[in-house]
Amino acid sequence: MCANRADLVEDLNRLMAEEAEACLRYFQMRFRLRGPGRVAAEAFFEDALRETLEHADAIAQQIRSLGHIPRLRIDLSLDGGPMRPAEALAEALDVEQQALDAYKEFLPRTASHPTLEKFIHAQIAVETEHVQEILTIAPAGAPLKLVDKPGS
Amino acid sequence: METWKEFEANELTHSAAHHLLAIYDVGLKYGGWARVSDIARDLNITRGSVSINLRALKKRGWVETDAHRLVKLTSTGLQAAKSVMAKRVILKTFISDILGVPRTQAEIDSCKIEHLISQATGERLALFLRFLSGDTRATHDLIPRFRRFRGDCPKNRTCDVCKGQCLMDELKRAI
Repeated sequence: MCANRADLVEDLNRLMAEEAEACLRYFQMRFRLRGPGRVAAEAFFEDALRETLEHADAIAQQIRSLGHIPRLRIDLSLDGGPMRPAEALAEALDVEQQALDAYKEFLPRTASHPTLEKFIHAQIAVETEHVQEILTIAPAGAPLKLVDKPGS
Repeated sequence: METWKEFEANELTHSAAHHLLAIYDVGLKYGGWARVSDIARDLNITRGSVSINLRALKKRGWVETDAHRLVKLTSTGLQAAKSVMAKRVILKTFISDILGVPRTQAEIDSCKIEHLISQATGERLALFLRFLSGDTRATHDLIPRFRRFRGDCPKNRTCDVCKGQCLMDELKRAI
């Protein structure tokens, strides 16, 4: 399935918004964490927010290489009370899973753009890792197994 | 509970109402099932946001998901969505057809309050619309007469509606 350049860019803008929004979500989520495992979960979200920002940036570079300027449209208001780390990770899992699904759905549209196709393949691999990582530390319904980093 | 606090604690938020309606609309073509990506496009928000918002709707028992992460309204969710849709139609009809507010504005205003008014108010409004569209001469004349009515406020700025403080003046001053 091929797509014209404008449609591709529009899809890339959406993917970038997913990543940028996830970054902001993780940024705020760190401050809601309470209870056992908080320090380790904070560290997890710090890494996650850095990585999502890097992903957003990488997508923006792809948009630029297609000759366009990224358009970031986010409609977000983040609040909410204290949150247990397991609950926060469950939300992160939803967000990461959606990002993974979005990349997978976008992949067939990149068939005539080898560089972009390679990039999306790489993103799928990374997002799959993220989902697996969250599933490993917080399987559905199981107690959180985060371990605080030494010295934290 | 004071009314404004009740408003804040409203169990069906504006966002939740729109998610239910989007799931309903998108699902119409697919036996009620909707993809998160289609809901996100319909609402013009990210898939991440939809998935987070769906968690709250699932907790309330308004939506269910399957192994492929497809989303469907439960019977309670469907009931809530249909109730919101009904209130929107009633409000829009009242605001545009009776009050004579332009359709676009009526659409916006009804969207803002559709999920906030009670069932009782919705029913009375629907009944009022039926009453006004009834076949009696009195109600037939009522709407055209209202449309022609240009009640200038009295010079002393008080009347039976305002009871001391001119509400029209307050509305004109509103931001």
